[in-house]
Order: sequence, then structure tokens, then C-alpha cells
Amino acid sequence: MTEIYLRLVDKILTPIIILIAIFLFLRGHDLPGGGFIAGLVAASAIELTILARGAEATRDRYGPWLIPLAGLGLVAAATAALLGLYGGGFFRSIWLEFYVFDDKLKFGTPQLFDLGVMFVVIGMALTYLLRLSEAAEATAVKQAALEERVEESRL
Amino acid sequence: MSLHPTILSLPVAIPLLFGALGMLIQSLPLARRLQIQQTLVGIAIGANLVVAVILLVSALTGGPVAYQMGLWVPPFGITVYLDAMTGIMLTMVGLLSVLIYPFALATIDAERARLGFFPMMLFLLMGANGAFITGDLFNLYVFYEVLLMASFVLLTIGGTPSQINGGIRYVVLNLMGSMMLLLGAGIAYGTLGTLNMAHIAVRMADAPYPVQAMIGGLLLIAFGAKAALFPVFFWLPSSYHTPHPAVTALFSGVLTKVGMYSMFRVFPLFFPWLLNSWQPLLMTIAGLTMVIGVLGAFAQPTIRRLLSFHIISQIGYMLMGLAVAMTPNPYGIGFGLALAILFLVHNQIVKTALLLGGGAVELEMGTGKLNELGGLVKLRPVQATIFFIAAFALAGFPPTSGFIGKLGLLEVTFSSGQWVIAGVSVFVSLLTTMSMIRLWQYIFWGKPHRQPLTPRRQAHSNQALMTTAPVVILVVLSLLIGVVAQPMLDVAQTAANQAIDRAAYVKAVNPELTEQDLRIAPPDLHLSNTPHPAQVAGR
Amino acid sequence: MTAFMLALLVGVLFACGAYLILQRGQIKLVLGLSLLTHAVNLALFGTGTLTRGAPPIVSEETESLGAAILFTSYADPLPQALILTAIVISFGVTAFIVALVFRRDALTGSDLLPGELAAVINTSDPFAEFSLRMKLPDAADDYDILQYELDEVYDHPESEAEVAHE
Repeated sequence: MTEIYLRLVDKILTPIIILIAIFLFLRGHDLPGGGFIAGLVAASAIELTILARGAEATRDRYGPWLIPLAGLGLVAAATAALLGLYGGGFFRSIWLEFYVFDDKLKFGTPQLFDLGVMFVVIGMALTYLLRLSEAAEATAVKQAALEERVEESRL
Repeated sequence: MSLHPTILSLPVAIPLLFGALGMLIQSLPLARRLQIQQTLVGIAIGANLVVAVILLVSALTGGPVAYQMGLWVPPFGITVYLDAMTGIMLTMVGLLSVLIYPFALATIDAERARLGFFPMMLFLLMGANGAFITGDLFNLYVFYEVLLMASFVLLTIGGTPSQINGGIRYVVLNLMGSMMLLLGAGIAYGTLGTLNMAHIAVRMADAPYPVQAMIGGLLLIAFGAKAALFPVFFWLPSSYHTPHPAVTALFSGVLTKVGMYSMFRVFPLFFPWLLNSWQPLLMTIAGLTMVIGVLGAFAQPTIRRLLSFHIISQIGYMLMGLAVAMTPNPYGIGFGLALAILFLVHNQIVKTALLLGGGAVELEMGTGKLNELGGLVKLRPVQATIFFIAAFALAGFPPTSGFIGKLGLLEVTFSSGQWVIAGVSVFVSLLTTMSMIRLWQYIFWGKPHRQPLTPRRQAHSNQALMTTAPVVILVVLSLLIGVVAQPMLDVAQTAANQAIDRAAYVKAVNPELTEQDLRIAPPDLHLSNTPHPAQVAGR
Repeated sequence: MTAFMLALLVGVLFACGAYLILQRGQIKLVLGLSLLTHAVNLALFGTGTLTRGAPPIVSEETESLGAAILFTSYADPLPQALILTAIVISFGVTAFIVALVFRRDALTGSDLLPGELAAVINTSDPFAEFSLRMKLPDAADDYDILQYELDEVYDHPESEAEVAHE
């Protein structure tokens, strides 16, 4: 399950795709982009790792952090909603705007919510992908063993 | 009692926040994590119950309240709406979760707890609370999905083959029901141009009949699928017996009742006149649901399969109450709905008590098969007694809550001129009694066939207390409702009156609507709440 | 014309989805469900007015143009938001069903649900999918068509392990 070319591609491409995901996330709200798409793109980057290094190695690296990541995302979303209480109502958005060298920057609770969405999507999508990849790999191993046995019996 | 409307967001916010915190610590060592998760869930469901009671009291005394999420102007934002019916449902679900929690704590096995049983309980609670309190049709769909995702996980957690079989059927049939709801919401948006329930109610009166019929039919199918009504109930008996008993009890108190509540909410609000013109259809569905449910129960060989067929049967009674809600009768418009609400509450209490009691037996004896059980009355006299009372409460014997509910429903259907359905419901009550006697006899009477599992692996030091006490409390509640029926009926009556008061709903959501906009009832339907002369004379 | 084509497409998708769901086999079930969700999503898409217009994002220039222009020349953004939500939800549910089907497959080595298995055994339907790799459990005689719902019929741990290893 370790393809040498794929591993090379993984090494180069995964950080780039993660960067694209972050870009998409930051672009959201006013322009097409946002947490959900960013989460899916990031998950696809890690899926590349699964393909290149196998599900087991990926599970070792990321496995324990997936559900907590989704939990963190939900906490972030709930926090964003509760922070809105400061602005007068549940889920009321609060924006901070400031200027850096004439460039307007703004941060707000919708972004926090979006970040939460991104985390939940990454966590859940990867849990699902890892589960399926593991099952598929187990089936492949079994299939190979079965074919070997058939070969032996034929000899 | 007036309170700040922001508190309306808490029934969703509390379970979400605590459930998320429970997920956040999933990578801690097992023992420590379980301890923290259980504490978090305990705090959350306790707080949820307190909030629900506060909301119920405020709705009963102060009337309906609406709140706009994010303070958007209605109808653009998501509205949440609270009236007495919402308050009753929130309180009941909160109460049931508080009572099921110790049962789950005592009996849940380490594997299921490891996989996140307790946070999922909170997400289920969040979905149910959201579905109760939302005032937006699409948001209702979203909360249904939250509820269903949590219930999928709870249903298949543990992963035995039977659970997976039941899970697949459950997921597929419920997903199709959700799609009907989504389609209904889409058609409502396409034809009426809005998703806010108050706004839909305003615009529905002017909509042509095909539009009304299409939206009404789709919502009937969708909520019927959730509530397990006659042609679309198949997911329930093929899945409810598979998970852990605590999960089954939680489902029986929450899932089907959410579907039924949505019907109570949506039909009197959107198109009360359809309740009259579609009465034959609704009555047919209700009658078939009752009969098929109870007949199905006779064929079942295990405790929980039998009880899950009874869930279906009892749903028919609630639909019967809803179907006569808008029919003029001596008790006043909406009395049928009041009885249906009371019956729903009764059914939540008693059904959960039966499933918890039966589940405790199943866990203790290692099997739920009726022909392998028996003779438990000597071994467990307390359980036998409370199960007996709960079984007869389900059948509708005095002095339990079932008697009041069924008597009232019978009376309102008779006085509305619906003789056939009233006869069917009496017949079904008789069959229910037979079925309950059979169940009790099989479990507790006769000679013991087998001994309790020994040594019992006790997840908790005082397991017997924690599994029995919730059932005792539920049965006592049922008896209380039966004995002090009048205050309960008054509460249900207030809830029903608020639920059929469309003008109040619209006014609470958007006070700026003029009298012109509030012309929302077709002229042929008199929706006044003035009592009928016979009612005044009766008092 | 566009509206008619859209309605036709929704109808075709619904029909195909319903047909696939009614087929035997769980992969077809999953495919049918995704077709159904697509059909509903398309129907939702059709509820917005299908006009060509600028994206419904209000920037500082358009804000000054006033509400009249805003409401006439912009596409209705709400159906898109609804569809996105519905897609996310159906994605989650479909993922869940696929995981369940996969687990079922690992446990029994078969694409069939036990109920369907009972039909296959009892009627010896020649057209039933009955691959040789699927060895029947010893409890095959217990697959009574009325009894198949009982858990213990297919909760045989030993026979399941056997089947799974095959």
C-alpha cells in the first residue's frame, strides 16, 4: 500500500492543498469559499496521504485527533453563537474591522463559526474515509490470501 | 411571568455546547474520559430540564413568545417560537432524558460508552429540542436531520449484525421521510415565497387548493414517516428492538413524538380547514395505525418487539385527537387537540416506563424472548408490580393517565360524530389489554425457566436502584396524572388553545403585521374559542 | 422550456431512484438514495426563479444602487443555501449508510439483507444473486420467512465468523 510515486506526490501536494484550503476558508463570507469547502479540500489532502501511505499509518498519525477536532469545531460554533449574546442576541454576528497599511481586515463571529464548520467537516469526513479505507484494505488482504490459497490448491 | 426571550435559545445551546465538549475530550484515557463525559451529560440534561420547566411556566402564564436568531427581521432570519405545547414537549423530553440517564449509567457497557454514547444522547436531545422550538420550516428539517443522525449513531453503536440490519432499514426509510419534508419545504418556498411558519400561515389562506393539498400531503407523509403512521411505520418495528434498552426507551419517548408534535404544530397553524376536509383520510390512517399496531403486537415473540408495535398503535390515538381538533363539538374547538397532547404526554411516560422495565428484565435475564422468561414475580416483586401498573396504564385502566386520555379522546370523538373511529379505538383498547396481560404473564407469572445471569457484571454499584427508580418515578407520574386530572387537562387545554390560535402565533413572530394581514382564516371556518353553550351548561 | 426540462429531470431522477431502491442489493439502495436526494435538490433549485443575474452578493458598489435593482436583477440566493445544507446533510447520511453497508458486507460476505436471504433460500429463486463465495451458515434452515426478523436467527457469532472468513 505504499506507492513510491504517490508518496512523493503526497509530500509535495498535501501541504499545497492544505494551503488552498486555508485560502478558501479565509476567502469565505464575502466571496465564494468558506468553511465547508475548505474542510472538504483539507480532507481530500489527507485522503491523498491515506492513498499514499495506507490507512494504518494515517490512522496512527491523525486518528486520535479526528473526533476531538470535530468536537472543537462544534465548541467553536457554539461559542460563536454565544458570543453573539454580547452583540444583543443569540447568533448575532459581531465584526471587528481594522486597517493594516490601507488594507481593511475584519474578523467576526461568523468566521469563528465557519472555522468550526471546517473542523467538523475535516473530522467527520476523515473518520469516514479512514473507516472505509481500512475496510477496503482488509478486504484486499483477504482477497490476496484467498487467491494464494487457490493457486496452491491448483498446484 | 416574563423573561428575556434570549433564553429561548438555551434548549438548543446547552446540549450543543456540552455535547461538543464531550466530543472534544474523546482522546483522553478511557476511564477519565468516561467520568468527565458522564458528568457533562448529567449537568447538561439537568440544566436542560430546568430551562424547559422555566419555559413551560412562562408560556402557560405569559402566552406565546418568539425570538429571532441573530436579531434578523422576521421573516428573513430563523425564528424560534415558544408556546405552552412547546413547553410541555420540552419539559417531557427533558424529564425523560433525566430519568433515562441513570438507567443508561448503570447498564451501558464499556464498548458503547467508549464509542461516545453519552455525547450522542445530548445531540439527540438537541435535535428534539430544536425541532420543538423552531418556527421555520427548513430549520425544522435541519433539526430533524440532527435528531436522526444522532439516533442513527445511537441505534448502531455496538455494531451487532441485528443492529446493523435494523439500522439500514431505519436510515433508509427515515431518509426518505426527510426528503418528503424537504420537498414540502421547497414547494412551500416556491409557491408561497417564504419558509417562516408564521409567514406561511398568513399566505396559505390565499393559496389555491392544489398548493395547500400538495404541501399538506407532503408534510403528512413526512411527519407520518417520523411518527410511524400506518403506511410508513415499517422502520420502527424492524429497528427498535435492536439497540441497548436505554436507547430504545429514549427513542420511544422522543422520536415518534417529535413527528407527532410537528403535526400538532403545523396542521392547525398552516391549514386548520384541511383537518376538517381531510378528516376521513386522517381517520382512516388513525384507525389502521391502531389496529395494525396492536395486531402486529400479538405476533411478536420478544418484549421490545411487542412494545414497539404498541408504540405504533398508540400513535393512532393521537392522530385521532388531531383529526377532530377542528370539528365543532360541545367541548369547544381544540378540545381534541388538548386530549391528543395529554395522551401524548401519557404515552411518553408509560411507554418509557414499560421499555425501561422490560429492558431491565432483558438485561438481567440475558434474553427478551417471551417463551424463555417467566416466574419473575417472586424474584423481583417490585419490578413486577410497577410493570403491571404501567401495562394497565397503557391499556387505559383507571386510575392511571391512560384512562383519562382514552376517556377524553373517546368522548370528543363521539361528540364530534365520529362513531366508527371511536368504536375502533375501544376495540383496540381491548386488544391492548389482552396483549399487555399476555406480556405480563409471560414475563412475571408461571414457573421460572431460567435464572438471572450470574455473576451479573455490574457497571455501577447500585445498579438495581438505578434501573428501578426511574420506572417507579414514571409510574407514579402516570398515576398522578390520572388522579389529579383536572389541572393536567387545563394545562393541555391552554396548550391546545394556544396551538390553534393562528393570529397569536403570527402576532408573536411579527408584531408589525396589520389586521389586514391577519385575515388568515377562510370565512367558512369559525375558529373562535368561545365555549359552546353545552360546555357552559356542563360546568 | 427550462422549467419543463428541470421538471422532467426531477421526475426521471425520482423514477430511477425509486427503481434502484426497490432492487435487491444494498449498493443499488445507496445509489438509489443518492439519486433521490439529487432529485429533491434539483426540485429545490427549481423553486428559485431561474433568472440570469449577478451573484447575489452585495458589495459596496451595489449597495448604493438601491433596493429596487437589488431585488430585480439578482438571482434568488436562498434555494442555493437550502440546497447546500441539504447536500451536506445527505452527504453525511449517505456516508453513514455506506459505512453500515460495508460493515454488513464484512459480517456476512453478502450484498443481501437477511430478509432477502430468506426469500432466496425459501423460494430457491433462480434469478436471485447467489454467488458461490457465500457459504450459508449452519442455521440456514432457520431462515423461515416469518422468522427471519428474529435476531438470534442471524446473530450466530460462530457461523458469522465463518462466513466472514470465507
